[in-house]
Amino acid sequence: MTEPAAKAVEVVELGKNYGSVTALKSVSFSIESGMYYALLGPSGGGKTTLLRLIGGFLRPSAGRIFLHGHDVSLLPPNRRPTSMVFQNYALFPHMTVERNVAYGLKLLRVPAGDIRDRVDRMLAMVGLEGYNRRMPHELSGGQQQRVQLARSLVLERDILLLDEPLASLDARLRKDMCLELKRLQEKVGITFIHVTHNQEEALTVADRIAIIADGELVEEGSARDVYETPNKRFTAEFIGDNNVLEGTVSDLSANSATLDIGFAKIDVPAPGVTIRTGERAAFSIRSELLRIAGRNEDISDSWQVVPARYVEDVYLGLTVSHLVQLPDGTEVVARVMSDSGENGRFEPGDDVAVGWPANRARLHLA
Amino acid sequence: MYDDFANPWTIRLKWAYLLAVVFALLMPVFYTIGISFNLHGFGARIYEFTFEWYRVVLGDTLLVISLKWTLYLALATIAATIPMALLSAKFYKRTRRKVAFVALMLSPLFVPADIMGSSLLVFFKNLAKGFAWLGQTLGVGWFDGWFDLGFLTAVIGQIIYTHPYAFIVILITMSRYRVQQTEAARACGANAWQAFWDVEFPQIRVGVFSSCAFVTILSFNEAVRTALLKGGFDTFSNMLVAQMLNIGMSGESYAMAGIMSIVSMIVIGTVIVYTLVRAERLERRARAMAEPVMSD
Repeated sequence: MTEPAAKAVEVVELGKNYGSVTALKSVSFSIESGMYYALLGPSGGGKTTLLRLIGGFLRPSAGRIFLHGHDVSLLPPNRRPTSMVFQNYALFPHMTVERNVAYGLKLLRVPAGDIRDRVDRMLAMVGLEGYNRRMPHELSGGQQQRVQLARSLVLERDILLLDEPLASLDARLRKDMCLELKRLQEKVGITFIHVTHNQEEALTVADRIAIIADGELVEEGSARDVYETPNKRFTAEFIGDNNVLEGTVSDLSANSATLDIGFAKIDVPAPGVTIRTGERAAFSIRSELLRIAGRNEDISDSWQVVPARYVEDVYLGLTVSHLVQLPDGTEVVARVMSDSGENGRFEPGDDVAVGWPANRARLHLA
Repeated sequence: MYDDFANPWTIRLKWAYLLAVVFALLMPVFYTIGISFNLHGFGARIYEFTFEWYRVVLGDTLLVISLKWTLYLALATIAATIPMALLSAKFYKRTRRKVAFVALMLSPLFVPADIMGSSLLVFFKNLAKGFAWLGQTLGVGWFDGWFDLGFLTAVIGQIIYTHPYAFIVILITMSRYRVQQTEAARACGANAWQAFWDVEFPQIRVGVFSSCAFVTILSFNEAVRTALLKGGFDTFSNMLVAQMLNIGMSGESYAMAGIMSIVSMIVIGTVIVYTLVRAERLERRARAMAEPVMSD
């Protein structure tokens, strides 16, 4: 019987302190080989620290890091099977594009002819054919990041670390580069670990996403799961455009909990959740699932409906956000496609009803 | 309407002030150089241009030997000071206690030259005695002559004196360097030395070479510490000071002072011009990189 292939990355109770400041608290997770993995979270949450620990640029204060089953916790970056793309300023400004890309191969003492071939092939792969003689300052931001990619990929390492690689690019270029990165990863088939604070970027590129905040791994799952069915309240608040309402558990059944939110009792699916009556809890519902109707209109029986007052709409280009106020003063957002015309018939101050499919709400205990 | 921003006199006055200060500071030096080219020396009514005094200086064996010693002293000081200053600057970039570190590195500058020189003199004398005693106690001759005044003690004195200057010059160059480039080199497989030599050094070498030039000039100009610590040899500055004190300023003395001033100004001028040209080039490059990044 063959052993199952070792995980590309396995992080066990990894921690990092800077004096009395804790940047990362005992984080554990693993990444399958060949996966595009995103570390997503707010700035200062510890995701770059985690990436730098995996890359060997920081010494862990606690825990261990295994790359393909080997403990590399205390090895320097040049002795790990990783390469890295930095946010910016990482090209060697005194070297041409060609010399930048060839640098790692020279260190490996690859014959000069092979270096030239591999550099040309890699520059073609990232769409920079013929840029060999250019200096880094003669390239645009997107081209510089592509050179960084080529420099990392040419080494044919197993794991590529990307530290906010698109953060300094304009919105359009960022979008294009996201797709390009995804395609590249599928082509080369190695493990990509991508740090970003931009949820759209993470959702575009990643097979799996880990949410990192306050030095902790909040939640981890496939991009779709993290977006559509977040387990933690933080995830719901951070990813997508979720409405979060709080209440007290007033009733329990086998697969659902009833939350008393003051002006209504809401049934929320709670399969396998351990919770007691009287406990405080919250639920989230994505803004694109909310619908607004007139107070006396019929909405499907399978929907939860609460009374509200229409406040205003905010045009966002692709979508329009409709703001309504619940009886306790909480404001919630219902988002629809701009050209759908949905919800557009209400005026500020109108009494309305707001509803959502009962089975799509997510219960959050903390 | 009166336009204050268009008033050229603000700028003109600032430049006039600056030039006046520089002129006042450098006037005695140029005056001295002028005299060194006068065949009739200081105070003469007639000015007759000549290289005679320079020929006399370069034909004087003792002076040529002192020039050689000064050069050796400068080279030894460079060999020790520049790597130390480089390490100090690198350490500064890593340390979190930057103010304390800089204060420590610059502290030798706050000790007057004669106090530092005499302190080191006493220190080395006692150290030499200590080693002699150790040798006697152990019954061996290995320690004889350790830290007797001589070339080594003079070099140590020069290192203490020049290290803060070299540190500052290298640090200024290093401040433009982005540490991400070292990390990128490490991620490409370079060890710490390769990352430094291949990536960091080419970008800071102007600072390193400027420091070398600066240390050389300081070694030629320094007289007090060397006079106290040199032992049995003389440097060019020592000879000049000795001449001035013993026989007063002669045409030869003016030529010696002229040699030191001209060499210093050429070296410093070259460094300044090169640094300005490089700064302009880097500025242009930074401006090019700061252009808005657009989709391509």
